Amino acid sequence: MHPFLSRRHFLSQTATGLGAIALTQLLAKDRARADAGKTPIRPELNPANPNAARPPHFEPRAKQVLMIFCSGAVSQVDTFDFKPELIKHHGKPMPGAEGLITFQGGQGALTKSPWEFKPRGQSGKMVSDLVPHLGALADEMCFIHSLTGKTNTHGPGENFMGTGNTLDAFPSIGSWLTYALGTANETLPAYVAIPDPRGAPQSAGNFWGSGYLPAAFQGTDFNASKPVRNLARPADFTPQKDRATREFLAKLNRHHLEQFPGDSELAARISSYELAARMQLSVPEVSDIANEPAHILKLYGADAAGNPVQDLKAAYARNCILARRLIEKGVRFVQLFNGAYQTGGEGTSNWDGHKVLKEQYVKHGEVMDQPTAALLTDLKQRGLLKDTLVVWCTEFGRMPTFQQGASGRDHNPAGFTAWLAGAGVKKGFSYGSTDEFGYKAVENVATVYDLHATILDLLGLNHERLTFYHNGLERRLTDVHGQVMRGVLA
Amino acid sequence: MAGVGCGDSPVAWLRIALITMPNPFRLTRLLPASVSLRSALGLMLGVASAYGAEIAPPALRAVDFDQEIRPLLENHCTDCHDGEKQKGQLRLDGVAGILKGGDSGEPLLIRGKSLESNIIRHVTSKNPKEVMPPKGDPLTLEEIGLLRAWIDAGAKMPGEAEAAQSLKLKTDHWSFQPLKRPAVPQGGDGFVRNAVDGFVLAKLKEKNLEPSPAADRSTLIRRLYLVMHGMPPAPQEVEAFVQDARPDAYPRLVDAVLASPRYGERWARHWMDVVRYADTNGFETNRERKTAYPYRDWLIASLNADKPYDQFLREQLAGDQLGADAATGFLVAGAYDLVRSPDVNLSLMQRQDELADMVNTTGTAFMGLTMGCARCHNHKFDPILQKDYYAMQAVFEGVNYGERPLRENADPAAAQELGSWQTKQAALQATLEGFRQKAAGMAEAGKRRPPVNARKNEEILMPVDAVAVRFTIHATSGGEPCLDELEIHDASGKNVAPGGKPTASGTLPGYDIHRLEHLNDGKTGNDHSWISNTPGQGWVQIDFPAPMRLSRIIWSRDREGKLKDRLPVDYVIEAAAEPGKWMRVAGSDDRLPFDGGEAGNAFLTQLPAVEAGLARQVQADLAATTTRISQLKEASKAWVGTFGQPGRTSRLYRGEVTQPREVVAPDVLTVMGTLGMSPDEPESQRRLKFAHWITSPQHPLTARVMVNRLWHYIFGQGIVSTPGDFGKNGSPPSHPELLDWLADELVTSGWSLKAVQRQILLSAAFQQSAAPRAGALTADAGAQFLWRFPPRRMEAEAIRDAMLTVSGSLDLKMGGPGFYLMDVVEENVMHYFAKEKFTPAEFRRMVYQFRIRQTTDSVFSSLDCPDGGQVMPKRSRSNTPLQALNLFNSTFVVQQADLFAERLRQEAGEEPEAQSDRAFKLCYSRLPDAWERQQSAAFIRSEGLTSFCRALYNSSEFLFVF
Repeated sequence: MHPFLSRRHFLSQTATGLGAIALTQLLAKDRARADAGKTPIRPELNPANPNAARPPHFEPRAKQVLMIFCSGAVSQVDTFDFKPELIKHHGKPMPGAEGLITFQGGQGALTKSPWEFKPRGQSGKMVSDLVPHLGALADEMCFIHSLTGKTNTHGPGENFMGTGNTLDAFPSIGSWLTYALGTANETLPAYVAIPDPRGAPQSAGNFWGSGYLPAAFQGTDFNASKPVRNLARPADFTPQKDRATREFLAKLNRHHLEQFPGDSELAARISSYELAARMQLSVPEVSDIANEPAHILKLYGADAAGNPVQDLKAAYARNCILARRLIEKGVRFVQLFNGAYQTGGEGTSNWDGHKVLKEQYVKHGEVMDQPTAALLTDLKQRGLLKDTLVVWCTEFGRMPTFQQGASGRDHNPAGFTAWLAGAGVKKGFSYGSTDEFGYKAVENVATVYDLHATILDLLGLNHERLTFYHNGLERRLTDVHGQVMRGVLA
Repeated sequence: MAGVGCGDSPVAWLRIALITMPNPFRLTRLLPASVSLRSALGLMLGVASAYGAEIAPPALRAVDFDQEIRPLLENHCTDCHDGEKQKGQLRLDGVAGILKGGDSGEPLLIRGKSLESNIIRHVTSKNPKEVMPPKGDPLTLEEIGLLRAWIDAGAKMPGEAEAAQSLKLKTDHWSFQPLKRPAVPQGGDGFVRNAVDGFVLAKLKEKNLEPSPAADRSTLIRRLYLVMHGMPPAPQEVEAFVQDARPDAYPRLVDAVLASPRYGERWARHWMDVVRYADTNGFETNRERKTAYPYRDWLIASLNADKPYDQFLREQLAGDQLGADAATGFLVAGAYDLVRSPDVNLSLMQRQDELADMVNTTGTAFMGLTMGCARCHNHKFDPILQKDYYAMQAVFEGVNYGERPLRENADPAAAQELGSWQTKQAALQATLEGFRQKAAGMAEAGKRRPPVNARKNEEILMPVDAVAVRFTIHATSGGEPCLDELEIHDASGKNVAPGGKPTASGTLPGYDIHRLEHLNDGKTGNDHSWISNTPGQGWVQIDFPAPMRLSRIIWSRDREGKLKDRLPVDYVIEAAAEPGKWMRVAGSDDRLPFDGGEAGNAFLTQLPAVEAGLARQVQADLAATTTRISQLKEASKAWVGTFGQPGRTSRLYRGEVTQPREVVAPDVLTVMGTLGMSPDEPESQRRLKFAHWITSPQHPLTARVMVNRLWHYIFGQGIVSTPGDFGKNGSPPSHPELLDWLADELVTSGWSLKAVQRQILLSAAFQQSAAPRAGALTADAGAQFLWRFPPRRMEAEAIRDAMLTVSGSLDLKMGGPGFYLMDVVEENVMHYFAKEKFTPAEFRRMVYQFRIRQTTDSVFSSLDCPDGGQVMPKRSRSNTPLQALNLFNSTFVVQQADLFAERLRQEAGEEPEAQSDRAFKLCYSRLPDAWERQQSAAFIRSEGLTSFCRALYNSSEFLFVF
């Protein structure tokens, strides 16, 4: 059944007795279909405003999500997953790893991080000097050290983290959330993706695509330097001419609608032009960070300059400020990217440190650390963490060994780290762990499905019941997997 | 999985042997020659650790099912696994349930093999998620011993035959029932024009609904064109139809519409959604497939020619054998992950995903079946076993991504040229061979054989009896050694290598074209070769089923003569009269030293100077000829897949590559019979037999699924509203008899799609008005029962094509490479940026767009336009502010509005009333009413013609079909 034209929806909006009878029949039919498993809950969509706010399944702990995704696979053993044994065994082979073949080939020796780990905050959480600003906020964070993936290739790995499926063209987590909940803000898109200043992530548009969900739930991608496509009035048209054209169009459409009274799809078309007009005002306003005070620009590092790394840091910092402004305006799902497609060679534009990890990560740490930490600090000082869940993640981890004949680490989906902060999650807490070297998750082993299930749960959604019927299946973000990590909930 | 020892390999009986033989070392005598003691021990240890160390031994006595096993199951299992609860759809309260197993697709037990049996795995598991029973007392060691003894003795149960009969897979689901032509409901009124209406009207009456009056002619022709061509009619076509007083004016129009080339372009685009077509690989590299388009052109040509639908399908599955090479683009149209890794499991999983894409797409597109659900377990809703999924996977197991020459499309002149070059090549090769023979004769006199060459080497043997031949390489001309073929001739001159079993020191992983099986498969050339996994070294061995008397060995690195690297230059060939007793029979030590291969000049030194000069000339000619031939061959290549004989297919427990189970032969769904193919069926036969089965007139799904698609694309919704799923989880048909009648029409018309479409288009149901009526709207808002023609927003492609048509800028050039809506920047990965400026090169119909996965163009992707990542049997029709922004502000639409305005000036002059009349005719196939004309003219006067055109392009009436 077409989601925007569902009979059930139409009937539920009609107060006639006949409608009520038919509605009962349809609901019964839905239940019958669901008897084989958990009863699906498919949100009711209003065709005139598909992003209208909808209630969650149960009382939510969080209302908005900020997902910070680091492309290229951030090494857990160089950032947040401290392993004293790795230091002790530095230069020795990893026991049991003889003949182990990972993404690019064989393993060299166990190699300690080039960065020192230090205890941070009240919790004393050990965080490396690669990310000192984030380390200072360890008391705000809930670390998950035991994530596991299904693939050790970037594209499929990013697809998996972004959509719950390693293949291309499945709906992203943001589109699932906006499909389920809509948005409270009716002048901005419900779901915004902020690509890195260097470009799109390795899984490209899959990360904010809507897959088989209606295109209404696609993320709208723009960042502080690249505005929403086609948002601006074309240069050839004066504001007056532009407005007059819009009014003439509305007149034509309403005149035409008189011959089609009650056709909701036509009515919805008219209202989408009205919303587009509101966006033309609201999006430039929210993107205009020039009027942020100097101390905020400084906090984020948006004033950095002087060399290409500092310029990049400033550009990423401006994206971080944009992310905060969008959260402030009530955008349901904001996705902030750090790192882009492989541009300029492996590990240059993202965290893919195979060959010369130290040289590459010095730069990536400098770009990511301060602005991201400032974003968290700023959200907190504005009281926005009360309702906002922050998720920091990457597609998989890296090996505690260096690659054979190289000074970097290969891909490792067997154990990696993400952290949560803000609404609904524990503070200064670490969940799960990897083995003594940081290679494999061993305690509270969690999957990407579990992470997705937990995010949905925090938003008041049952990941087993939020479904969309597509090509024979009641599809879910978590497929047939996923368990909520109760241990991370506050 | 191919190539990994599985199924009825030594592993299975080793496990059994382990049970009965206390001393594992005694096993070695039973091992086949190819399994070393070390690997045998490894296998046994693997067994032991997989099941835990302390599995109770089987009881040492006969065990009776009724007396001992049934009570045991009742005690421990039937609380959850009985008729009531059926956890995991498993019943253990009767013989039938035990035979059937649960929904995992895994047999509950394997007779005679208790250690391999799932039930033993579960009752002895240490994994809390797996162990059975999950709660309560575990089975005692004695009970496990009883179960094992019973299974090892063959798991006999009383009443098995009857139980097995009762289990025979059957289904009463409607779509699997044979097609029968239903009678057309009679007693219509003035509404009914043909059989289709009989069914529609009967259903309307049943629902207390009335059909609508006929739409006016201008509405009808615009609808017909938008639906069937995806473009609006030209004003003169509208005029002619409105004026046409002949009684058969409309049927004539329908025939003309069906005969237009625009028809094939429109319907090919629909099919491209269903078969997930795009022009890039997808995934992170997302490289361009510059030669994918011949498949798209084949679709358009086939549909325009009204190629019978059964043939249309057969060619897509097996066109390489049916004179339609381009058609197999279907098999490889999906996304393809180019990034490979030395990690074996990763590569295997990627290959499984590729095959899943082919299986799923075939299931969805041709049969409306969601095969993918059975990859990991039996289908939860439909009669599809997990085994069936792998049987269908076996059909496609030999299909690989890549390019292949298009024989049928080859330009005849080019083909002739190729032929003459090939004749010349053969002649030159023969001449050169003559020189070589002569040189060899002279070398013979000098007791040194000619050096090795890449193309062909002969070893004459003293007659020797052997059970095995081993070819050991110590050095190559560069890189890991490669052999494309190893022929071993017996005394009668017959090549006996293909009957032997090849083994090797190792094989370069990750390449389907370089596999061990290629060593003795009779196919030559680099694409059918073995390459060692060690630089410069390696060995291959062929074991014969019985001793052979050998006379001659012929081997080569690339018999097609293209490649000369990887050539073994230092080697020894040995034969074994009995296992392990090797004896040298030939080698490189009596050859002249290698000197660059066949293009090298080593043999020339053996010839007199004049002949050497001639031979050099021949060599130069040959090199030029070979280059020209490969150029000509490359020119006709397209992304239509390659084929090779695959290894056997195994069912994978839970779909995991690390858990292969029994071998599965290529076949069709169990519930629909069997094709009786062997697990080693020749690759081409698999697809061809499957194609014939799927297009049998008796197939219950094929015709039903396709007529439903036709209906779906004509009315905007199918009779079955889930066109990709005709299973239990799909929607039931709104008009079951009509669906069957149309399906029967399709078959009896000789599978003519146009004949069925004609029936639908000539119905009153199609011709009725789209105007809403309050009561009917309440009862059936979506007009599923067709009380009106349901209006809908057009697809992205139709909107773009309509804009170009109306502005007069549409370029109707058909076929060939696609145009780009993205700018391309190539690095180690591809970067695509949406174009913001457009030239006439992009003013072609959108079906010719070079479609790039994972990207959104600047206007049309937002209109639910799929990127080919997944099959899309039904598009969403969403409505978003981004669509409004794109249509209102994009440079493309503004540019088209400018062109449209220019056209209006040319065709209607400077008078705003005339301009608006012309514009309405072009956009809406009608004249404006008085209010519209007045408003339009006033607007043009104050804001200009381009603004007016921009507004029309955004109007509901332009974007929708009514």
